Amino acid sequence: MADILEIQGISKRYGAVQALDQVSLNVPQGSIYGLLGPNGSGKTTTLGIVLDVINASAGTFRWFGQPLSKSTKRRIGALLETPNFYPYLTGEENLRLTAEVKGVAPARVGEALQTVGLGNRRGDKFKGYSLGMKQRLAIGAALLGDPEVLVLDEPTNGLDPEGIAEVRRLILHIASQGKTIVLASHLLDEVEKVCTHMAVLRNGKLKAQGPVSSILATNDLVFLNGGAPLETLLQTALALPFVAEARLTDQQIQVTLQNGVDSSELNRAFFAQGIALGQLVVRKKSLESQFLEIIKADHA
Amino acid sequence: MTSLLRIELRKLLPYSTFWVLLLLQAALLFVFFYARGNVMVNGQMAGAELYQFPKLWMHLTYVSSYLNLIPGILIIILVSDEYTFRTLRQQVIDGYSRADVVQSKASVILLLALLLAGYVFLLGMGFGLYHSKEGAASMFTEAQYIFYYLVQVMGYMALAMLVAFWVRKTGLAIMVFLAYTLVLERLIQWQTPDTIDKYFPMKALSALTPNPHSELEQLMLGITDFLTPGQALVPAVLYIGLFGFLSYQLLRSRDL
Repeated sequence: MADILEIQGISKRYGAVQALDQVSLNVPQGSIYGLLGPNGSGKTTTLGIVLDVINASAGTFRWFGQPLSKSTKRRIGALLETPNFYPYLTGEENLRLTAEVKGVAPARVGEALQTVGLGNRRGDKFKGYSLGMKQRLAIGAALLGDPEVLVLDEPTNGLDPEGIAEVRRLILHIASQGKTIVLASHLLDEVEKVCTHMAVLRNGKLKAQGPVSSILATNDLVFLNGGAPLETLLQTALALPFVAEARLTDQQIQVTLQNGVDSSELNRAFFAQGIALGQLVVRKKSLESQFLEIIKADHA
Repeated sequence: MTSLLRIELRKLLPYSTFWVLLLLQAALLFVFFYARGNVMVNGQMAGAELYQFPKLWMHLTYVSSYLNLIPGILIIILVSDEYTFRTLRQQVIDGYSRADVVQSKASVILLLALLLAGYVFLLGMGFGLYHSKEGAASMFTEAQYIFYYLVQVMGYMALAMLVAFWVRKTGLAIMVFLAYTLVLERLIQWQTPDTIDKYFPMKALSALTPNPHSELEQLMLGITDFLTPGQALVPAVLYIGLFGFLSYQLLRSRDL
């Protein structure tokens, strides 16, 4: 499938701070692409650059295989950081203005307000909206003109649990219509629940990218003990060709297997060496520990 | 440009700050004209002498030029609001180019200048007809001063726009604008020979609406070199273009 967005080696420097360092990534058409990273990792900077509001220090990017222009902007709906509207205008007036800036028929405004559940508050001033309503209005504005791509930066920020669930439902609903969604978030669980693809950023560097399943679901951990002294278990494990990593933790040996290797294979290998393991526990890595592992990779 | 202006009007018309400043400007213009006409000179109302066609146009536009800071401040508020509300950023995301941003504010400047010049013209007609002694045959012979005033007020607003794009914070931008127009340029003028400083922005703009009693002023202050309104038109228009161009360059070079 074609890539909606290709980013080639973009960097951004703010004085002495390297906010982004040679980031390259591709967003496939129809994906829900999660941009994951802790606060200050460069997510918003990346999105700001591809949305034309931040000048990159180096690198290029292309939307739909073309450089960004007025016509490509029309095919993108975006919400960057905070909802940005005129506080003294009503929700409806604000969206009408957005529609005109985007060159979209004003008739679509009512529809967008309904989609984000603000139909009955359309006549209220934006400054009177709750945080959740402001966020929903911003999503409504991004939806105007039926864009092919939605770029959402922390769309559930500041929402209560109900609002978060609602926004996620909305995102999945939009994605089910075949649209591509780029979603920046510092919440792992959000990315796991919603996204098909992801990229992990830390300190402006790209740590990993690809389908969520290939990044998160591999490399289960196996914990071993018994049958031999821990030191022997460790040496034996390290000697096995299909063991990616093994170390002593907490009175047991933690083993990371290579992709596609089953834990029973490990058991068999130990038995072949004359060690009957007392205990073998397979633990799916928690998302959080995987995330921490990915972002810590540069310290190793 | 008309569609840009239409979008600007959507922002302006419901905005109370806009109306407050516009009405303040309109009220002050009226009060200034009225007060100046009612000063008693030698037991006679000054208006009876000052507000005769056609020299009334020169008088009125000279008086009006004292109130140019208010439209300037209004433009600063309108531009810096876009930073405060972050709507500038959103509109660039939604499809505006940097040039669109500057052009949309320029369209507001043009509209306001036309409104103000039209208003001063109407006030002039009113005061002139009220005070005129003889027939109004020479009514419009010096009405070109209305055009000079239009260019002048555009110049003030264009400078205000540049300052607002540069500084971004409302309060600070207003202070920089006032400091430059009221103090800074005069200090520089002081150090500069008349032959050069007559081309400075504020001096060239103010030369568009000369003091009707300028002969007296020149005699007293010893000013030797100045531009006539017609001569000042060229630098004034160039400055307006320059302020717009610099605003665009600022937007292009910085992150929004």
